[in-house]
Amino acid sequence: MTKSKGYFFPLRPQPGTRGRIRLSAKLRSIQLIITLSFTAVAVLVAVIVSSMLYNKFAKTAEENANLNMQQIIEQVNYNLELYVKGMSNIFETAEEQVTTSPSIDSPLLYERMDTLMSSREDLVSIAVFTPQGKYVAGTPGQNMRVNTQLESQSWFTNALKSSDISYSAPHIQNLFKGRYNWVVSISKMIEYKENGELKRGILLIDFNFRTIDQLSRQVKLGKRGYAYILDSLGNIVYHPQQQLIYAGLKYENVEPVLAYSFRSYLDESTGEKRFITVRTLEETGWKIVGVAYYDEIVTTKRDLNQFLFWFLAAVILCAIAVSVFLSWLIASPIRKLERTVKQVGEGDLNTPINVSGAYEVEQLSRRFNLMLQRIRQLMDQIIYEQETKRKGELEVLQSQINPHFLYNTLNSVVRLAERGKNEEVITMIQSLSKFFRISLSKGNNIITVQEELDHIRHYLVIQSFRFKNKFRFEIKAQDEVLPFQTIKLILQPIVENALYHGIEMSPDEGLILISAELQDNLIVIRISDNGIGMSKETLHNILNGGSKSAGGSGVGVRNVNERIGLYYGREFGLAFESELEEGTTVTIIFPAIGQNEGQENTAGGETS
Amino acid sequence: MKTKRLVLTVLMCALVWLTVTSCFNRAPVYITTNKTRNIHMIVKMNKGDYWNTVKLGAEAAAKEFNVKLTFKAPDSESDIDEQISMVEDSINLRADAIILAASSYMGLAQVVDQAAYYKIPVISVDAEVGSARVRTYVGSNSYEAGQKSAERLINLLNGSGEIGILNFTSASLQDQRSNSASIDYGARDADEREKGFLNYAARYPNIHVVQISYTSSSTTEAEELTRQMLENHPDLRGIATLNETASQGAGKVIQSLGLNNLIKMVAFDSSPSMLELLQDGTVQATVIQNPFSNGYLAVKYAVEALEGIEVPERVDTGTKLIDLDNMLYPENQKLLFPFVR
Repeated sequence: MTKSKGYFFPLRPQPGTRGRIRLSAKLRSIQLIITLSFTAVAVLVAVIVSSMLYNKFAKTAEENANLNMQQIIEQVNYNLELYVKGMSNIFETAEEQVTTSPSIDSPLLYERMDTLMSSREDLVSIAVFTPQGKYVAGTPGQNMRVNTQLESQSWFTNALKSSDISYSAPHIQNLFKGRYNWVVSISKMIEYKENGELKRGILLIDFNFRTIDQLSRQVKLGKRGYAYILDSLGNIVYHPQQQLIYAGLKYENVEPVLAYSFRSYLDESTGEKRFITVRTLEETGWKIVGVAYYDEIVTTKRDLNQFLFWFLAAVILCAIAVSVFLSWLIASPIRKLERTVKQVGEGDLNTPINVSGAYEVEQLSRRFNLMLQRIRQLMDQIIYEQETKRKGELEVLQSQINPHFLYNTLNSVVRLAERGKNEEVITMIQSLSKFFRISLSKGNNIITVQEELDHIRHYLVIQSFRFKNKFRFEIKAQDEVLPFQTIKLILQPIVENALYHGIEMSPDEGLILISAELQDNLIVIRISDNGIGMSKETLHNILNGGSKSAGGSGVGVRNVNERIGLYYGREFGLAFESELEEGTTVTIIFPAIGQNEGQENTAGGETS
Repeated sequence: MKTKRLVLTVLMCALVWLTVTSCFNRAPVYITTNKTRNIHMIVKMNKGDYWNTVKLGAEAAAKEFNVKLTFKAPDSESDIDEQISMVEDSINLRADAIILAASSYMGLAQVVDQAAYYKIPVISVDAEVGSARVRTYVGSNSYEAGQKSAERLINLLNGSGEIGILNFTSASLQDQRSNSASIDYGARDADEREKGFLNYAARYPNIHVVQISYTSSSTTEAEELTRQMLENHPDLRGIATLNETASQGAGKVIQSLGLNNLIKMVAFDSSPSMLELLQDGTVQATVIQNPFSNGYLAVKYAVEALEGIEVPERVDTGTKLIDLDNMLYPENQKLLFPFVR
């Protein structure tokens, strides 16, 4: 009976797994997965594209800013060069005036020098010193201070050392009373006449920072950017925050600047990113250094940042909207299909499935429909088979208590008793009782081969009395076959057939041979008789139910074949070999299954 | 397994989002100059090169950090009441921050507490004030400055002789005499400098500090006090002056009397006229502070305090002894002569 249970639908999920599925079902829904992956892909692409764009634009912006800054610094450089040239021109004029003057103390020279002084705002003083550091002449005519230590000052020592014009670092001019000025000094050894005598002396011209300041102040490099000037030694000539630098409150990383004469680079020594552009003045060796704050000059970058931020936000929103729509489009037929299939699973096999949508989904629903159709067919068939089987069983049951058989048998018993053949009566009754015991066998449909063989023996014993020893019978069985299971009452209809249709009609003494053996895990039982045999037509009709046997038990051979087919599969069942006048052999083949434990008590050793 | 993939996807999305957003927001490391801050700076006196330089530094910082600087000072260093009322004004005007160079250590303590009550940060500059609510002190170590002055003067005198000190005070002469014993209403820096000087001089048995005079805030008063001191102590060999006004007064007297060979003088602070005196030999040395830095840093720290940046409790801007030899060293030039455009 285990097999017959299998037709039921295992479509319902097992109750144990149900909770877990419900927990993550929302997260695993196809729509969500599609939405998420679509969005992820779209965002990823947008991010990659925009970061590439950003890098490209930012680079361009940076280059532009850099170029712009270089141009500004170039301009300052040019102006400063002009200014320095102007300074040296003034110096040359003054030098010429001093050297050509007939005497250093001539009023004409003083007048000329005064004119020169008043021509330019940035001139602080013009003076001539002896190589020993004594003041000779100068304008404006100031009083010298004492303790000036001018011999150790750079403008003085440089003039003594070389014959070229020398430019000093910015310093405090402490020579003249009245003011301490921050100046740049230009000095050179010259010759002058004093009292007709040609003497060597040092000409000193001090310039203040006004013009340099003005030049540098024009530089606008962003809101906080600036330019400063460095001399060749790294002293700051001019810085918009000069005082802060001097007080040590600001720091300018001049080392890399000193290393290069013409360069632009990014500096982070102050903690902030700054663009530094360096240009060097040929004449003085001064360097003009432009400083621009990176985050200021690349405002384009910040704008770009903002634009890209909103762009990305828009892209993400669009991506989400589109992917929600798309995933709905894809997922809804699937979900519909899923709902229908669920209905089917719950037992409504007549639910039609007509889901349209994607090709695959359509195909799926079509095939599912086909499958459903087939299932319905199969179920009908099963129902039919079940009914047939039940009918067969009923018929078997009827045969078991076939009153005709019982009546004949009891008649025979009575006749034997009348003749006083007590021995035979006892045998008859015993066989009859055992026959019925096995027939009933507690209502089980399955019995052992041993029991089935016993059953048929009892039957044959009874029948042999009835047919007045018109036939003999022989049962041969291998020992190993006996414990296997078989369906009850498969031999009796065949033997009955052999008796009524084969042997009874035959004039010769009949012989029925029954053998059971195991062949390749199959149980093969043969029932042979030497009766009249069958025509081919009859043979064909037997299994297809075309003819109904006239005097048979009514159970029929077909019933046996069907039962075996139902229990063991259609490939098993009966085979007939028959030859007219020669006899018939019926072979029953079915698989050797399940040795029954309880067989010993019924089996005994009664096989002959 | 599907769940795992999903989690990974979500994680990846989050990561992408983070990378994207992190590009856009970065906290600035420098002080933002987007908003204008009202900072009131109240110093001891509205004249003198020293306070001008302080103001200069403050203005430089104000320009840099977008500060609207209101500079206030009484006419005289002794005018404590005026200074107090100025601080009160600033409180009433709800200044964003107050920078104060207190003329009196205790005299301004209360009004500073009051400012703190109104959540106005107070930065003290140059001279400390006796309040625990002050955010930071920017200035030099006055005690050390006094010691430096004493060290040089004693050195110049070869370790023996009479010394007079000309210090400054917040109170007028009469008040000083009656009050000094009970409560310390003097300016903290003046007291500290004097203490530093006397403590150092005490190590030399042959050095006698014969007189300490206090000028309030005028050069003429200082001149007068110097003359008195010279009259009272004919054997006086050295004079130490402990602020700019006193130094200028004393220097003028010594120069005009031609005493520069007889009397050694160590001055305080550097004005151009002071440097002239140094160069012509009237004054042998001067102790200088960093007024520009003081002004600049005071404003800077005020802004930082307003920004919520942690400010140091004390900022020592240092002192230096300047004499004829080192006055023209490049690094000292930068300190002595403010670069004025």
